Amino acid sequence: MSKWVQVASTLAFGGMLVSGPVMADTFRWANSTDPQTMDPHAVNAAPVTSFLNNVYEGLVRRDKDMAIEPSLALSWEPLEESAGWRFHLREGVKYHNGNDFTADDVLFSYERGVSETSDVSSWFAPVSEVVVVDDYTVDFVTHDPNPLFPDSIANFLIMDRDWTEENNAELPAREQETHASRNTNGTGPFRLTQRDPGVETRLVPFDGWWGEVEHNITEAIFTPISNSSTGLAALLSGEIDFISPIPLQDIDQVESRDGFKVLSGIETRVIVLGFGHQHDQLNDSDDAAGENPFQDVRVRQAAWQAINIDAINRVVMRGQAEPASQLMPPGLSGYSEVNDERLPYDPEASRALLADAGYPDGFSFGFKCTNDRYLNDESVCRAISSMFAAVGLDADLTAMPVRNYWDELRGGDFDMFLLGWSPGTFDAEHPIRFLGATPDGRVGSWNFGGYSNERIDELLPLVQQELDPEQRQAWLDEIAGILQDEVAYVPLYTQPLIWAVKENIDLVQRPDDFFMLRWVTVN
Amino acid sequence: MLMFIGQRLLQSLFVMVAVAFLAFALFRFVGDPVSQMVGVETTLEDQARLREELGLNDPFVVQFWDFTRNLISGDFGYSYRTRQPVGQMLLSRIPATAELGTVALVISLLVGIPTGIYTALRPKGALSQSVLLLTLVGVSIPTFVIGILLIFLFGVYLGWLPTFGRGETVQLGWWQTNMLTLDGWRSLILPALTLGVYQLTLTMRLVRSEMMDVMRTDFIRFATARGIPYRSLFFRHAFGNTLVPVITIVGLQFGGVIAFSIVTESVFQWPGMGLLFLESIRFVDIPVMGVYLVMIGLIFVVINLLVDLLYFMIDPRIRVREAA
Amino acid sequence: MPRPDSRLSLARLGALRRQLFNRNTLRNNEGVYLFLRSPMAIVSAIMTVLIVLGAVLAPWLAPTNPYDLASFSLMDGLLPPAWEEGGQSRFLLGTDDQGRDMLSAILYGARLSLTIAFLAMAFATILGVGAGLLAGYYGGRFDAIVMRIADVQLALPAILTALLIDGIARGLLPRDMQEDLRMYVLVLAIGLSLWVNFARTARASAMVERNKEYVHSAIIMGQHPVRIMLIQILPNITGPLLVIMTVDLASAILLEATLSFLGIGLPANSPSLGTLIRIGMQYLMSGDWWILWVPTLFLIALVISVNMLGDFLRQVFNPRLR
Repeated sequence: MSKWVQVASTLAFGGMLVSGPVMADTFRWANSTDPQTMDPHAVNAAPVTSFLNNVYEGLVRRDKDMAIEPSLALSWEPLEESAGWRFHLREGVKYHNGNDFTADDVLFSYERGVSETSDVSSWFAPVSEVVVVDDYTVDFVTHDPNPLFPDSIANFLIMDRDWTEENNAELPAREQETHASRNTNGTGPFRLTQRDPGVETRLVPFDGWWGEVEHNITEAIFTPISNSSTGLAALLSGEIDFISPIPLQDIDQVESRDGFKVLSGIETRVIVLGFGHQHDQLNDSDDAAGENPFQDVRVRQAAWQAINIDAINRVVMRGQAEPASQLMPPGLSGYSEVNDERLPYDPEASRALLADAGYPDGFSFGFKCTNDRYLNDESVCRAISSMFAAVGLDADLTAMPVRNYWDELRGGDFDMFLLGWSPGTFDAEHPIRFLGATPDGRVGSWNFGGYSNERIDELLPLVQQELDPEQRQAWLDEIAGILQDEVAYVPLYTQPLIWAVKENIDLVQRPDDFFMLRWVTVN
Repeated sequence: MLMFIGQRLLQSLFVMVAVAFLAFALFRFVGDPVSQMVGVETTLEDQARLREELGLNDPFVVQFWDFTRNLISGDFGYSYRTRQPVGQMLLSRIPATAELGTVALVISLLVGIPTGIYTALRPKGALSQSVLLLTLVGVSIPTFVIGILLIFLFGVYLGWLPTFGRGETVQLGWWQTNMLTLDGWRSLILPALTLGVYQLTLTMRLVRSEMMDVMRTDFIRFATARGIPYRSLFFRHAFGNTLVPVITIVGLQFGGVIAFSIVTESVFQWPGMGLLFLESIRFVDIPVMGVYLVMIGLIFVVINLLVDLLYFMIDPRIRVREAA
Repeated sequence: MPRPDSRLSLARLGALRRQLFNRNTLRNNEGVYLFLRSPMAIVSAIMTVLIVLGAVLAPWLAPTNPYDLASFSLMDGLLPPAWEEGGQSRFLLGTDDQGRDMLSAILYGARLSLTIAFLAMAFATILGVGAGLLAGYYGGRFDAIVMRIADVQLALPAILTALLIDGIARGLLPRDMQEDLRMYVLVLAIGLSLWVNFARTARASAMVERNKEYVHSAIIMGQHPVRIMLIQILPNITGPLLVIMTVDLASAILLEATLSFLGIGLPANSPSLGTLIRIGMQYLMSGDWWILWVPTLFLIALVISVNMLGDFLRQVFNPRLR
């Protein structure tokens, strides 16, 4: 048996590095998820938008530090006579097939984006009309003043009207695929040469791109690898140059090898615990049936203070996460500096709060968690359950794959749940709209527990329209304060972003986990 | 004869309907496809509309009827995830699984039959005993563990072989093969070994027991008594007699190999049908799961039918019984 | 790895090798004699007994209770086994990422895995033997139905059967009962994918015995068919059944592990060996090798011993293989 262990451990951490048959100019990378379509308006999911930002371009784009910069639009300014924005477009831009880019394509892409089968229409909820002023000027008229509109459309990718219509892909695919599901015609720095869904996707640089070329690759090959051990083995054997993400526990292993490096950063996704605020009784309890102790703010606060976030970060997250105080991470616009203190870890206070609320011996409840959605989600939940046990909160943990999870939460079958939230607009308004507002079909669609606060509902539209940054921040601070005082959610930590890459390759890790081929250099 | 075949065909049809029904029933409970199809910002109304469009709100019976009717008319529907035609998706994944399965099977036969014969002829030999012990270990280690050990030994540590995928492939019409390039063959070795180990031990044990059986039958004993040389006796009489059951089992194993390449394909990111099926479970891609299952069912049923017919022709006793 | 192939081929083999099992009257001492003569059998039997004992006595043997969340601390997480640098003597085989003692985890895990495997095997035996005897004894339409159902079963790979049962249970059972019944769902799923073997063997034997004179005379004497089946026919196949039971026990243990590897198994807070391996897989490359290899090697040791025992039994009941 001990010999076996030896063999096994030699196998697992044999230090030899062997390079595979990879040519210097071809760049190969892998991710756990394949983008499910090449159509930029069919699915609004990160794997798709991230991938397609290499092929298509928007009016604006985000730079290496997430700041908005000109892309297909050279400049923009608020409209004078009505609410909205005017975009001045870049001239001389060509699509991969040689067609010219004009304002009409923006209008077309907008119409396509708000069509019935589009999945990106939420971006245009504030927009009432798009007007083509001339070939290189286009107006987005909005219902109300909308200061953040240009920031919110970085992923609104522009398609060529002629190409799309010629190929009968005017509408994004709904039931069955269209030509645009597997073929592309963008203006971006790379063009698609081969698309084999779930197997392999190949790209080459676009010679006619308007921008200045920073990369030095001649071909890029993408392969989805869902099993993380297989993916890491592929990197370490030299068959691929870059993989994201890798498991936290493998960081040391990659770093200790010659020829590889780990890029770690903080993502924009905050992991939180949610409560069944609207439930009058616990779903899954042996001893507190008929009531829901979590409706008492003291109990929610007790839960918060029972969690030793530093220990979770150190052991489960390998020190790579960042403890969070609110629904979004610091550094993004609208972050509430005045509320950036977490309630301290204090099991004594926690027990006292529980006793105060009438539960000196705690109670049992159901705790729902994913096991394949966030980094080490199941381990985190198990660690939290064990910390709860120390103050008398008896969490009955159920961890399930995400494919069953949302159904379960929408069905209200939880007393407490785990949720990760990444603000799509990189602004504080986003999590408030989806998690903080009272659910009414329009907002609050991910507020599973039905948390409701009148003041927040009142402030949200004001925040959305306010042009004065200081006033806006004041309101955002007030909302963050309410959410924290009422322990609407227990913010846990901001999830780390871990990429592993060969030493001789330089690339840029953006906090939104987007991977841009145009910033890759192979040395 | 005709009646027997007709009867079997009818029964096979019944089996297929049952498989289709079970396959379909399963998917009602796998999860919610809609939340996997849309982004986070999609409103609940849009989700509800999509659910309605996909027919997910129809009564169970209606959905099953649509499913079966479309299957029979050759319309396999569209993937919820990629919106590709399911038939086309599965078809493009068949070569990968078929080639992997075939090579695994060939390995198992090339190694399994000789070792089986050897261990049957020298049952007490030290080598036989160790081979038997080794096969026991072989059937006792979970396939996924074998696969991962191979990846780390030959892929990462020694760096001899690729760790994932099919390598360089060549397109022959719609059939994409990795048997025409060196890289393709190199990629095939590890997954085929992983998948073949269990089949190998099974074949070996089967050949061994069949062989030992035959060697004890009367006609071999008589032949020995008549002084026919052992070697010729063995290869001309005994071996021939073990072939029929062995070939039967091989046929049956092939279906098993294809269905159970699921685990191997997942470990090696081998882009075959099994991987497609696992991914479709992950993303609740109901049409893909359904057609995959029905197809696997069909393969099993056809093989079963062929084996039954083979028996019918070989073994007169069955004919008599069926006639009676 | 599920063993559908063994189901399949053994089922056919049952028919093919019906004659193999004809010799089934075992003189009392013969088995003991063979056993004592085979070191493999002795070793495997000892290992099996030790592991089963360890599993049964887990609550008394294990240093800690891995189900009691309050009993372990994140602070003890990822400690290596005691003999490695940094290991502590109170955690002989190290701890996992939660600070749970690995030794306790595998003892409790084996307990759960064996419980599931035994129950599944028992379920498969009863269902398979019952259906097989009836089908073989009565023949005709009933036989055809049973055998067609067996075909459906064979057409659905074991993993899919498990998914199916799991899915249906999810749909039918009240939500709050699902977690508690999870183990029985697994038992049902694994059991259903194993019963065909038993059915085919029992049916083949019943068909042969049915036409023998002693059965005829029993029928003429007016004995109840059930009595005939249980008293006259069943004893004839105890040998082969015992062999299948042993092999299937090993299959059931592996199937449970594979299902857990694919994420369809038991939840992480009451881990079986398979679930422990699934969790350990995340640590494959990390240097914390014990989290994966302790449960994996334990599982392999268990399955090898059971399989060796099965091999031995096969030899006992089928002298031609000796």
